[in-house]
Amino acid sequence: MEIYLPIAEQSMNVFVLFGLGGAAGLLAGMFGVGGGFLATPLLIFVGIPPAVAVASQANQVIANSISSLQVQWRRGNVDLRMGLVLLLGGMIGSSAGVSVFTWLKAIGQIDFVIAVMYVILLSSIGLLMAFESVRTLWKRRRNPTAPRGKLHTHYLVHRLPWKMRFYKSKLYISAFLPIGLGFAIGILSAILGVGGGFVLVPAMIYILGMPTTVVIGTSNFQILFVAANVTFLQAVTNGTVDVVLALLLILGGVVGAPIGSRVAARLPGVVLRALMAVLVLGVATELLFELLRTPASPYSLGPREVLQ
Amino acid sequence: MKGTMLLALVLALAAPAWAQRADQPLPGPALGSPPDASLPPSVPDSPAKPELIVDLSSPRVSITSAFQGESLLLFGMFDPPGEIVVVVQGPAARETVLRKERFLGLWLNTGRMRFDDVPAYYFIAASAPLQRLLARTGGGEILSLEDRLSTIRPVRLRTPAQMAEFRQGLVEVKRREDLYPANFGQVTIQAGRLFRADLPFPSRLPEGVYDVRTYLLRDGKIVTAVSRPLPVGKVGFSAELAGWATAEGPVYGLGAIVMALVLGWLGGAVVRRL
Repeated sequence: MEIYLPIAEQSMNVFVLFGLGGAAGLLAGMFGVGGGFLATPLLIFVGIPPAVAVASQANQVIANSISSLQVQWRRGNVDLRMGLVLLLGGMIGSSAGVSVFTWLKAIGQIDFVIAVMYVILLSSIGLLMAFESVRTLWKRRRNPTAPRGKLHTHYLVHRLPWKMRFYKSKLYISAFLPIGLGFAIGILSAILGVGGGFVLVPAMIYILGMPTTVVIGTSNFQILFVAANVTFLQAVTNGTVDVVLALLLILGGVVGAPIGSRVAARLPGVVLRALMAVLVLGVATELLFELLRTPASPYSLGPREVLQ
Repeated sequence: MKGTMLLALVLALAAPAWAQRADQPLPGPALGSPPDASLPPSVPDSPAKPELIVDLSSPRVSITSAFQGESLLLFGMFDPPGEIVVVVQGPAARETVLRKERFLGLWLNTGRMRFDDVPAYYFIAASAPLQRLLARTGGGEILSLEDRLSTIRPVRLRTPAQMAEFRQGLVEVKRREDLYPANFGQVTIQAGRLFRADLPFPSRLPEGVYDVRTYLLRDGKIVTAVSRPLPVGKVGFSAELAGWATAEGPVYGLGAIVMALVLGWLGGAVVRRL
């Protein structure tokens, strides 16, 4: 069954899009990340223009994060103070990111930049995760009861000025850290259409040193507002948010997420991470291959300008 | 008969000039040139009696939520003898042609050229091989795609070689999207005076008012022509959404956010109950 996407201006199979949303939801349920970083490249593979894929995916991220935030908020797993400071950076970053996006689109390089950023991001995350799971498996075999290390180590970044106390996270750190982190994630969010949880969560644990209990809730809090900001700005400046596309992705995600969390409950964490690493590296390789392969035709068209 | 006499008159008038400067081409409508005021118009303004009647199976192309491209039937009747040529042209706009080149092993857009007055869509159908018809008529206002595109101008002036390359690229992309169908369409004539042709429109069709022009040719000359505007546009739900997105971006953006919030909230709540 085909459906016409009014902003992408093409028809597409409903079940393909629903399935894509479902796959992203499945990942979200399995690994606790948004799944946007896989859904956007897949949308591009099936032929959605990258600019529309990114903007519509940002719209889908809103649904994903509110549904996760619902639970985390009730359990009291959101560090509101940290969330707001992150959000300050996130809002600036995502607004700047949308401007960069608009500029790249105008000079005809947006597709290339999206692909390259995805290759870099996905391959580094994939390799890190693969390395991590191999190391864990190795360690477990040799020393099953390794002692736990310090809560968090102190680096140079912890000496920055304008320190703030974050009670829920049990931290006393410079506000520049979360602002900077939020800024970086905001840019990623705007250009790649992802929530950025898969970068934000490890960064909150390893760079900020936040306790893992509040990380998911707090990151979802920041992602919700940043994704809403990106959706709004993309709709206003680029007009690339396709709500029909986003609707199908959201519906797919609603079905996929609980299946994912049920699967995740039955598999050990290491296996999950290894699976995820393989998946992420696969998508990165395919994207890289697309960039390296000689195109069938070197020509493409930019946007049509109807002169009044 | 009248036409032949007029042509003879023009030739007779032009003969002395021709004799003086032999390198000058014969007067007459060159391919793609603006109509010469001294010549009678190729298309009579108001034929006394319609020699050509044309209609379409649908007055418009409606892009609905189920649109996957469409084929319209053009049909009509003419006073024999004659040949029929149909030219369908999409609205003209400025197009940017991008060209990829290998840079550090990666393919990225390095060249671009913008052209003005590029038809969104171009399709020709004819009742006889078009090359033969055009050779006999000298073209007049019936332009093959190549001739039509030879009139488009780049926004910034470039070398002719570059222009030719990018123009070729433009045709390549438009061909790929079926917006410049590679094959000429067939106009079938039945009972000597009825004709029909299928006009193929692909799924990724730019909006605007298209021009469907049907020509009746006799003895290599355009006897009459009928032009019909064909609006192509989104209708119904998709039209409303697209219109909303362009005219009221902030409202559309907020609507998208609210939709995602409501669905995400409800979805999350429902799924947890299961």
